[in-house]
Amino acid sequence: MAMAPPGLVRWARNLGARPLAVLAPLLLSGCSGTLPVPMGGLDRRLEAIGSSHAPALSDRWLALIGGRGGREQVVLVDLDRQMPVPLPGLNRPDAQPLAVAVDAAGERLVVVRQLEGRTELVLYRRALMALEPIAMQPAGVPRRISLRADGRELAVEVSRGGAWQVDLIEVP
Amino acid sequence: MRSVAVTSALIALLCSGCGSWSWGRRSAGPAGLGASNRQDPALSGDGRVLASVVERGGRDTLLLQEQPSGRELPLRHLRRFQPHRSPSLSWNGRYVAVLIQQGSRRLAVIEDRVNGNLLRFPLPGDQEVERLSLAPSGRRLALEVVHNGINRVQVFDLANQLEPDLPAGMLSGGGAPAAAGR
Repeated sequence: MAMAPPGLVRWARNLGARPLAVLAPLLLSGCSGTLPVPMGGLDRRLEAIGSSHAPALSDRWLALIGGRGGREQVVLVDLDRQMPVPLPGLNRPDAQPLAVAVDAAGERLVVVRQLEGRTELVLYRRALMALEPIAMQPAGVPRRISLRADGRELAVEVSRGGAWQVDLIEVP
Repeated sequence: MRSVAVTSALIALLCSGCGSWSWGRRSAGPAGLGASNRQDPALSGDGRVLASVVERGGRDTLLLQEQPSGRELPLRHLRRFQPHRSPSLSWNGRYVAVLIQQGSRRLAVIEDRVNGNLLRFPLPGDQEVERLSLAPSGRRLALEVVHNGINRVQVFDLANQLEPDLPAGMLSGGGAPAAAGR
């Protein structure tokens, strides 16, 4: 019977779980390779934001919702420079962002947010620093979103008539 | 250069009529027999594959479909370990990242549709993964992790784990998922 390397067992113990429970899936997969490497410098930058959630990656860009003390906003991080970039005109103190998606160029962001008791979907163009509402037709409440890499198509999870549906919307 | 971009964007905005009423829309189509709900949509970078989560046999299950035909695409490992949530796709849909349930733990995994490999991301026992997002190239993975009641996004570098899945014309090896049922 094959034995797990002692170093791997020690690592599994450090995970705080029974070694067999952790190692079995890894060994069964037979293809896990080495563990992924967290981007240390970026992690420290993200920690400075406070709590963060709803990540959306597009290679160079990471969009997320983050903040401290209950005040959350959309944050766009340039992963090459490991720095957030300004998003003038997007965030406002009376709006609560719920989900965000970003295209590969980091130019278009789509945001689901709650404002004045309504849940709305908006498109933000960085070059214009402008927001544009995206109406749900037929009417529905948007929740989760995904943007094609070129930013020209959007998939939206919509609550409509008591069911969850997915709409595909072409973005001009 | 930036002024050209601004002008182009303004023209696009004007041509669109400044109203979302003119935007093309369609439903993602049927999700299969008995599936009345479809959630958690994720488009591949090229838009030709749509992942979503539908209820099958009472369990939230990942559904992968070619667009716009709606043809279901096969998955090797992800027909079990439900409930599935938070799918994310690479550029050509070669890599499918999703959260699965294994025993009492939620686990982030990536299925490679070309070679059938499954890459797993176990977290320390006091952390739980909530959401994920895979970069279109497959070079990075973002995980939303809950630790001590605080949600935090962490980004992992996969350059040494996955070969890139790049747009057509930029392929550096077996990037196209032709062998995976497309």
